[in-house]
Formats: sequence, structure tokens, C-alpha cells
Amino acid sequence: MTMQQVVKVTVNGVSYERNVEVRLTLADFLRVELGLTGTHVGCEHGVCGACTVLMNGRSVRSCLMLAVQADGAEIMTVEGLADDGRLHPIQQAFMEEHGLQCGFCTPGFLMAVYELLGSNPDPSDEEIRESLGGQICRCTGYQSIMRSVKSAAAKLAGARV
Amino acid sequence: MKAPVFEYAAPQSVEEALSLLGACQGESKIIAGGQSLMPLLNMRLARPDLLVDIGRIAGLDYIRDADGGLAIGAMTRQSDIERSALVAQRQPMLAAGTRFIAHPQIRNRGTIGGSISHADPAAVYPALAVALDMQIEVAGPAGHRSVDAADFFITYLTTALEPDEILVELRLPGFPPRAGWSFKEVSRRHGDFALAGVAATMEVDSSGVCSFARIVLFGVAAVPLRVEAAEQLLLGSKVEQSLFEEAGAMTSDTLDEPLSDIHASADYRRHLAGVLTRRALAEAAGRAA
Amino acid sequence: MAVDIPKSFAGLPATETKWVGRGVNRVEDPGLLTGRTEFVDNLVKPGMVHCAILRSPYAHARVISIDASKAEQLPGVVAVVSGEDARRWSNPAQTMPEGWGCYCLVVDKARFVGEPVAAVAAVNRYVAEDALELIDVEYEPLPVVAEAAAAAEAGGPLIFEDKPSNVMYQRVFNWGDVDAALARADHVFSESFRWHRLGANPMETFGVIAEWNPVDQSAVFQGSFQSQSHMGLGRAAVLGLPSHKVKMISQPHGGSFGGKGGFRGCDIAVLLSRKCGGRPVKYIEDRMEYLLAGASQAWDRHYQASLAVDNDGKVLALDVKLLDDLGATAEGFGAVSAAKPLAAFTGPYAIEVARYDLTLVATNKLPASPYRGMGPPPHNFVIEQLMDIAARELGLDAAEIRRRNYIPPEAFPYTIASGNEYDSGRYEAALDKVLEMSDYAGLRAEQARAREQGRYLGIGIASTIEPGVFDWNAYAIVGLPSTGVPEGVSVGIDILGKIYVKVGFSLEGQGQYTLACQLLADYFGVDISDIAVVYQDSHSAPPHFGPGGSRLGVAMTGAILGAAQLLKEKLIAMAAALMQTDAANLRMLDGMIGIEGVPEAQMHSAQVAATMLARSDLLPPGMDPNPECTYVWTAPGRTPADEEGRAKSYLTAANACHVVCVEVDPDTAMVEILSYYIADDCGTRLNPATVEGMTQGGVAQGVGAALLEEYVYDEEGQLLTSTFMDYLLPTINEVPMTQKAALVTPSPFTPLGAKGVGEGAIHTTPAAIMCAINDALAPLGVRAREVPASPNRLWKLMQEAKAG
Ligand SMILES: Cc1cc2nc3c(=O)[nH]c(=O)nc-3n(C[C@H](O)[C@H](O)[C@H](O)COP(=O)(O)OP(=O)(O)OC[C@H]3O[C@@H](n4cnc5c(N)ncnc54)[C@H](O)[C@@H]3O)c2cc1C
Ligand code: FES
Ligand code: FES
Repeated sequence: MTMQQVVKVTVNGVSYERNVEVRLTLADFLRVELGLTGTHVGCEHGVCGACTVLMNGRSVRSCLMLAVQADGAEIMTVEGLADDGRLHPIQQAFMEEHGLQCGFCTPGFLMAVYELLGSNPDPSDEEIRESLGGQICRCTGYQSIMRSVKSAAAKLAGARV
Repeated sequence: MKAPVFEYAAPQSVEEALSLLGACQGESKIIAGGQSLMPLLNMRLARPDLLVDIGRIAGLDYIRDADGGLAIGAMTRQSDIERSALVAQRQPMLAAGTRFIAHPQIRNRGTIGGSISHADPAAVYPALAVALDMQIEVAGPAGHRSVDAADFFITYLTTALEPDEILVELRLPGFPPRAGWSFKEVSRRHGDFALAGVAATMEVDSSGVCSFARIVLFGVAAVPLRVEAAEQLLLGSKVEQSLFEEAGAMTSDTLDEPLSDIHASADYRRHLAGVLTRRALAEAAGRAA
Repeated sequence: MAVDIPKSFAGLPATETKWVGRGVNRVEDPGLLTGRTEFVDNLVKPGMVHCAILRSPYAHARVISIDASKAEQLPGVVAVVSGEDARRWSNPAQTMPEGWGCYCLVVDKARFVGEPVAAVAAVNRYVAEDALELIDVEYEPLPVVAEAAAAAEAGGPLIFEDKPSNVMYQRVFNWGDVDAALARADHVFSESFRWHRLGANPMETFGVIAEWNPVDQSAVFQGSFQSQSHMGLGRAAVLGLPSHKVKMISQPHGGSFGGKGGFRGCDIAVLLSRKCGGRPVKYIEDRMEYLLAGASQAWDRHYQASLAVDNDGKVLALDVKLLDDLGATAEGFGAVSAAKPLAAFTGPYAIEVARYDLTLVATNKLPASPYRGMGPPPHNFVIEQLMDIAARELGLDAAEIRRRNYIPPEAFPYTIASGNEYDSGRYEAALDKVLEMSDYAGLRAEQARAREQGRYLGIGIASTIEPGVFDWNAYAIVGLPSTGVPEGVSVGIDILGKIYVKVGFSLEGQGQYTLACQLLADYFGVDISDIAVVYQDSHSAPPHFGPGGSRLGVAMTGAILGAAQLLKEKLIAMAAALMQTDAANLRMLDGMIGIEGVPEAQMHSAQVAATMLARSDLLPPGMDPNPECTYVWTAPGRTPADEEGRAKSYLTAANACHVVCVEVDPDTAMVEILSYYIADDCGTRLNPATVEGMTQGGVAQGVGAALLEEYVYDEEGQLLTSTFMDYLLPTINEVPMTQKAALVTPSPFTPLGAKGVGEGAIHTTPAAIMCAINDALAPLGVRAREVPASPNRLWKLMQEAKAG
């Protein structure tokens, strides 16, 4: 039983170890303890999806997890997508299709799309809606996001062949 | 919106978890997927002294064959249930209903045990627990006990679980091969908690007569609600649209004080319960072989 | 010096435009896509502490005592402030109408649930929230005014005890003789409507880091400010400081939609900073605070309206009576939202006679704030419902009645009854376009077939105006009499030939930095990557306002082209000296400055600029060596309001016509949007991709308004929708993918002929969807008059209709 605990995680391939309060959310851990501020916080109650990251390959709400629950996990955040400034095909697609305006929701969307396209390289409109239904964007009205996901799928398919 | 101070423990075994819960002087809380508890913590609506994380206990996360039915570990993530071939085959309504729970990112964390323990009146799994006759396996200081889903839900967010008990497993019979099922809900947005919902199962004999019916409503009362009057009406009757309509109307009539909130009045919920029942029965009958 | 700004692309010094007018990749995006953009909550400052705010649980209650001693003793707590500190170090907010503001922390009584009562600064937000629980406040609850109608009545509890009533403002504007028109008309259609509170909800809430400098008694605020200079003036007034002692630094923000206001957040944070000796204090509003007490709520309206129509469907007069519930104070510019409809009071229609009977009341709810559209969306909803009611009663098609009433293209510039002037438009062409795109006849046939099968399909048409490029005079009727909202930029070239533009606003989502680059790339014949947009704080930037009122695209274009032109003239003067010719012989094209007709006599503008910087000995007499020019643009031709509130206010009038097809499930009352078509005309499209994005984003917010979003209060003034589980934002599952077509009718008055378009479809979508729902339910004799048309509401209406 403890109020303070050591958390060891790998984020975007880098190992970190921090002694933190057990009540710290994973979102705050990433943003404040690790300085990885690309993951955003929009509601802190699980509805907006801005804080979505991948944990052991699955998209999760980092505001609905304690950092201690992630101990030992592999985390991927938006900072892990681009390679030395070269945009990941999903990011490239969002840029070309204007899949963002203010960009605050975008990191969450990118991570959800990353998971989707990892398991379903050619999703239908319905499947895109299903996997992004919990990600709220107040700016775009989603049409350009829909286009971005399809374009990203095509880019990734192109990269595979 | 930051959680209050609490102590945290991540036991490795159910026994260890039980002893932590038993030893806690103040209020203890189990955290499973955290998808209901974390918002409450962030809002400081839940203020446990001790949080017992059962996520590190090995062997609570499984979907297994059990005598032709299923045994599902309490820590099994909702998305694993959604994707499980075994679930799809043994209990198709469980797989289908799972897709109505929130969104993939939440189902990736949320557990079946957490959802059933939490007992939100509008949640999917509590209704399915009753509709599918789940046995709820509970570990406590005095050993294991098994509770029928029908006896498990007491009222709004309250179950037969004691504070020092842990839900460890759900057991389901196999879905009868010739039975039909239907899971329907109305919600404001896709993925929201239901304003009203129904899980229905039905068996129809070769002469087109209903030989088994189960109707469970959710989102309308403090607990999942079986509509036995309508089930009785169906039993022994020829399945046809007029029967479903009658059963729907009867369902509405049996609800004397449905829940009421800013999204749906009691009257609207009563009405929806009837409409959804009618539609679900028609679909279930259509699916019954 | 006023500069002649080109009214079309042809006026740019470019052989052809390569950037402007095209949907280029945005310069903002790489930073946003990689998570590198610095939103305010990403910033950490040395010594920084974190603020949490204790809020009133009562809608109306006297604060008897506050005891913060236990909180002060909690380890990690650095300072606590309450009303006493606010009274000592600040002033009540200045408001419009005047005198309806209070201190940032309650000094006498709380007037709404969530009103700040005390605040804590601590080492982190967790500890700050722990400390809030240790503050003891004794309240004496007072009777609550929760309803606008009750608030307007005499004799009830007073929200401001120094006022005679809760009526903040009451005035009737007569534009022509409405009573005569109503008496004379063949038909008068009257109806009441209700638009419930909703609001901006950008994905990023408000945030600020405030720093008090005890040595020179000044304050610096770094945060998400939509308009930093405007915000800065307000802070100076509240803190009793001269304007040059308040500096605002605007970080990129995660959306605003008019709602990025954090007046009290700034003021409380700086009081805390002062109390702890000048440490930076970060306040990040959380989502529940935003919903409960942020700049989150707008437009709480009760309408009674009439349309006078002749037998041919020609509208003779529009009579609108509005009771608007502004909440507890006027601190949030709610009154401005009630004034803005004057800019497009009669929509796209030639209605010569109109009346606006306007009452603003105070209740014990959250003070209303701006929201995208700033007031007209509910007004448009009212007009469009009345048009449909008239059409239905007269047996006219919804498209036909609109067609008969549009302002014809030859009538522009056209002055509407309420005084504003529309610049240009082809409303019937937009209608025809959208009818064609939607196969309107086909939709109607489908609707007829569906009805035979007992399905309730409805088709909605809505035509609206989006006033663009606001001027203060638009709000003269509620106390903002001046004209001229400045937007200034400085454009320069560095010694290696790269171009920069200094602006006084930050990223917000509309792609303004990209537009700046597009304009300058074409102006100086360089690649878009050769341009840098440099943000400047409120002390450094030229006079500016920033985004708001669909203005920045146009205003910034004016400022950039003005500054670019001044720079061009300066470079030409320099080149003339270098080439030993008269400046009149030189011109600049694609960035090359040369003597016309002498191809070898050319210098690149970058070379000229570098020479200015490197060889002051070669400068012509009197020229300063800085290849940088500043221009401040304001909308031309704006007029003060007359005695009936009439003014040329908004510079541009974009228009849109939407067709939407919905299906209402008669059993569940759920509404599904089946298809959605848009024809819109915002003049020249400076960046079509951005326009498309603004439109679609407006559709989403319009869907929210029509079907989902509502702040619900109970009779005790308690907010029942303080989470995103209850305040419902549209998701990808609710927003239709729309088909869009563009008409281009340039504005004769604006830079490059562009019109303001930032608010987009929020003006049109709620009206269109409500028209469609009513069209669907017409066979049942149901008329939905309340927004949002939630399933519960629609079901109740259908039940009532069945009961007869
Ligand atoms: C935005 C959002 C939308 C949602 N929408 C829906 C929806 O539409 N339908 C729906 O059904 N659900 C919905 N949910 C709830 C979600 O399904 C949760 O996952 C579920 O209710 C709780 O499961 P959990 O594992 O996350 O439990 P936790 O949050 O960890 O725990 C919930 C409660 O159960 C107790 N508990 C957990 N596990 C056990 C156990 N093994 N033994 C004893 N007690 C235990 C905890 O102490 C706690 O009180 C939504 C959640 C969110 C955040
Ligand atoms: S911040 Fe986590 S879902 Fe909104
Ligand atoms: S781009 Fe602003 S919220 Fe999505």
C-alpha cells in the first residue's frame, strides 16, 4: 500500500522511470512528468478522446488511467509518429486532406487511426465511424478527417507493396 | 478535476486482494478497467482510502469453454469479448451487445467484471447478465459464492457484492442453437448510454409457436428489468407481428415508474421500452431457427 | 496613409497567382500533427504554481464568511485569495449594458452556480484541489431567479440590488411602420419559438499563466486569448492599471468559436500571483469548470415573431420580439449577441419593414458568452421557420417562397431595413445550384413515396446571410458606439531575402498563418516556405484585434496587402536610386523590380532589401534602412448608428443555401440526417480548403444546435449538464458528410473581393434541420418550435398531436 510509487514505462521506445503520486493520471504523467505534451487533455472524464494514446498497441484514454496502472507498459504517443521530422503517412494524410484545424483533438485522432489501420488496412466508412466515434473534434465537422483516414490507408497500402 | 489522495495496492493474487480489502480500515475500492471509476475519481465523487488494482492479478483475463457455455474472467476487456470467436459462436448477443458500449478506446480498457459490478442501470452487460442467465462468481473472505444474475442487481449502482468481495468470473450457458436474439437500444448519440434498451431471446417451435422468451429492459429502471408478463404472453402463442405489438404494449404498461432525466422523461422511456420490445421480438423471432 | 488594396487577384504584382486561391498544405500543420505546438498548458515557468478555484454551490447566496486557514496550512499551498483580495486589488468588470458586472471573486453574494468564491495556488493542481476542500464558506441562500419570464416581472428577487429590476435592457426598434404592414397584409403568421442555451466548447478549455511584477506593478498574461489586445484592455480596467502595464501573450489555442474568454480566470490568477509575491500562476480551466462557469453558454432565447405576407407569398414585414436570458451578469458580452442580428435582420430577403422588440434580462444562471455566429443563428432559425409556415399555409413550395422574396442581384449594394448594407450576392443562383445538386424534385418524389409507406422524410431549405468583418458600430445599440476595428501587420524582408510578417494573433484553427504566407508568396514571387509568420504580443504587434465576427481573413488580407504595397513602394524607391532612374519607371512583378520594357534592367526585391540593410550609404535621402512596412487596415465606409440603431456595420454579406433531408422515426422520435447539400457564396475564395473546413465545421456545430446541445438548469439554478456525458457534442456518427458547391460573387468593397466566412454554416444548419424536421412531421400536424429538437421533445409533440 502506497501513495507514491515508481513507474517504469517505455514511451515511443525510450525508457523512463519516475517516482510519482499514485493518484497521478497517465495523461498528467506523460505531460508533466515526462514533458511529452503532445497528448492533450480536453475533458478528463473519458468522453472527448483528446488524450488517447496507445498502450501495448491498444488505444486508451490516458485521462482514465493511473500512471501506476501503466507500470511496465509500452506507450506510444503522437510524438512517436514522425521520424526525425518526417511525417508518418497518417500525419501526412491529415495535412493533405485538411483533417485538422486547431489541431487540439488531432493527437488523439492520430493514435486512434494508427490502431485502426494497424488491424484493418482498408476500413469502410462504417468502420472508420465506429473506431472514431469516441473522438470529438469541434472544428472540422469530420468530413476531412474521413478523407484523411482513407488517404492514410491508401498511403500505407502503397508503402507496403 | 484531479483525484483526491488515496493509497494504492496492486495485489498479485485474488487472495492477496481479499486480504487487502479485508484489512482496510476505511473505504476500499477495487479498480478494474477504471472506465467508470476514473471519471468518478477525477471528479472527486469517489473518495476511497484504498484503491485495490486487480489488473495485475494473473488469471482473471480469459474467455474459456465451460461445458458448452462460457467462463469469462472478470478482468476480460470488453474489446476482447467483442473480438472473440468463441463468444461470437457461443453467445452472439454478448458479442453484439458489446459493440453498444461506448467506443473502442473505452472497451480496450473496460472489463466485463467492472461493468457488472458497477451496475449502471443503462449499461449493457448487467442487462445481458440477466438476459443470458449469467452466474456471477464471487470471491470473498469466506470463500467463493455464486450468485444468479437475477439476484445480483439490487438498485442503482448497487449489487449483491460486499465491499470485501471480488467478482472473479462470469459463467454463461451456451446459447440454445435454435434460439433467436435481439439487442436494441435508443441513445442520444451512437455509443452513449441507452435511454432505453432491450435484450430479448426467443425460441420458436416447428409450428411457429413461441416456446421460450426472455425480455430484459435496461436504462428504464434502477436495475435490469425482466418483463415476465410479456414473456408469459409470448409463451405458447404463435409468433406474429400482432403478438409483438401486444407484448410491446404490455411492456410499456408494466413499467410504473421508469427513470426520468434530462434526456428522457419517464413517459418517453415507457414508450421506448414498448417500441424496442416490439422491434426486438420481431427480430429475435426472425433469427430463431 | 490609406493604400489602395487590390480588389481581385489581377491587382497583385504576379503574372499568375500560384498560392492564393488554392487549397495549399497549411504551414500550421506540421507542428500540430507532431504535438509540438505550444498550447498554454504545455508551458512550464520557473517557480510556477497552479491555481484551483472554489465555486459557489448556490445560484444565489450571500457569502457570510470564508475561513481559509486550514487550506493555507496545507503543505504545498502558496496562496489563497477571496473576495477581500479582489476588492483590494481589482475593480468589478465593466459591462454592456453598463453596471451589470461584479468582482472576479464573490465579495457580497454569489449570483450563479460556479461563481468563483476563493482560489488557491499550490505546487500542483492536485494539491490545489485538495486545499479547496479545506476552505470553509458559510452561505445564506437567497431566492433564485431561474426563468427569464419571471426575471422580467416586477417584484421578484433582485440579482443586482442597486438596480430597479432584473431587466438589463429594453428597447423597440421600428424600421418602417410594422403595425400598418401587419394590418394591411393578406396574411400574418405568428409563432413563438424557444432556443435553449448552448455554447462554444472548443476542445481546449481556457488557460492562462499570470505573472504579477511587484516591482513595477505590472502584469503579464500568457494564455489562450482570441483577441489579446481586447482582453488586455479589459484586464487593465479590472486591475486598475494603465494599458501599458498589462502585456498579453497569446499562445496557439485549441479552438475558440468566440468562447475563448477567461476574464475571471486571468484576474484570479493574477491576484494569486500578486499574493505570492509575483510567482507565475497557471490556471487551466477543467471541462466541468468550463461547462459550469466558463465562457461556455450563449443564446437563451424566447421569441415571439410574425411575418406579414401577401397572397403571392411576398413578405411585407417581419416582427420579432426577443426575450434573451443573459444570466447573472453582463460580463460575457451576451448583449452583443442580441445586437448582431441587426446586421442581417431580414436575412437574404427584401423585407422593407421590420421591428425588433428586445428585452435582456438577468437570471441566476451563468453569464452568457459569445459563440460562433454571435447571435444570428437563432434569429435565422426564426425567420426560416416563419417562411416555411407561410409557404405551407399558402400552398407554396419552400423553395418558391424564398425565391419570391430574395434581394435580386441588381439591387446590390442593398441596404436592409435594420440599416446594414449588403455588398453583393446572387441568392437565387445559390438556391438553384443547391436544388440542382440535391435533385430537389427527386427528393420530393422520394418523400412522397416514403410517406405512402408511413415513413416521415422531411426536406429543409434554408437561406441565410453571414455578416462578415464586424465593426464596433454593429453593437452600438448596446453601447459600443465607435467605428473601426484595426488589424495591423508588419511585412519585411531579412538580409538573406526571406520574408516575414508580424501579426498580433495566434493560431486558433482557421489557417490564417497559411493565408498570410499564400498572399506574400504571390506578392513577392517566392515559395510559401520562404515566408515566416511571426507572432507578436499585445505590446509589440501593430494595432490588432484578431479573429472574431468572420473578419480576420478579410482584415488580415487587407493589412498584408497594404503593408506589402508600402514595402513594394519603398523597395522601388530604393531600386530607383540604385538603377539611377525615376521610381515612376519601375514596377515589381513576381518579385523582380525592373524598368518596364528593359528586361536586363532588373533587380530582385530581396536583393534590393539586402542592399538597404547592408549599404546605408546607398539609401536615397530621407529613407530609413529598414525594409519593413506596417499597415493597419480597418473596414472602409462604416457609419455611426442612427436613432433607430441603423448603421453600416458588417462589411460583407456572404450567403448560403442548404438543403437537408432527414427522416424522423415516428416511434422513437429519433432524427436521422439522410443527405445534406450546400451552395455557398463568400466571394473570392482565398483558400478553398479552409472555406470548406469552416463550412463543414459549422455544419457540425449546427447539427449540435439543432439536435443535441443544451445547457439544462433546474428551478434552483443548478446546472444539470456539467459533463460531456450530458452536454452532447456531435461526433462523426451524427454529422453528415455534405456535398458542397461554391458560387463566387466577389465583394466590391474588400481586399481581393473576399467575404468573411469563418462562422460558416452555423448560421444556416440549425434552421435547415429544423425546417426539415417540421417538413417531415407536417402530416402529423406537428410543429417543432424548440431547439434542440431532442427526441424527447419531438416525441412529446407527436403525442400531443395524436391526442388532438
Ligand atoms: C465515455 C464513456 C461512455 C460509456 N458508455 C457506456 C455505454 O454506453 N454502455 C455501457 O454499458 N457502459 C459504458 N461505459 C462504461 C464502461 O463500460 C466501463 O468500462 C464499465 O462500466 C466499468 O468497467 P471497468 O472495468 O472500467 O470498471 P471500473 O471503472 O474499474 O470499476 C467500476 C466499479 O466496479 C467496481 N469493480 C470493478 N471490477 C470489480 C470486480 N471484479 N469485483 C468487484 N468490484 C469491481 C469498482 O470498484 C467500481 O466501483 C462508458 C464509459 C465511458 C467513460
Ligand atoms: S481528456 Fe481523456 S477523454 Fe477527454
Ligand atoms: S481540429 Fe480543433 S478540435 Fe479537432
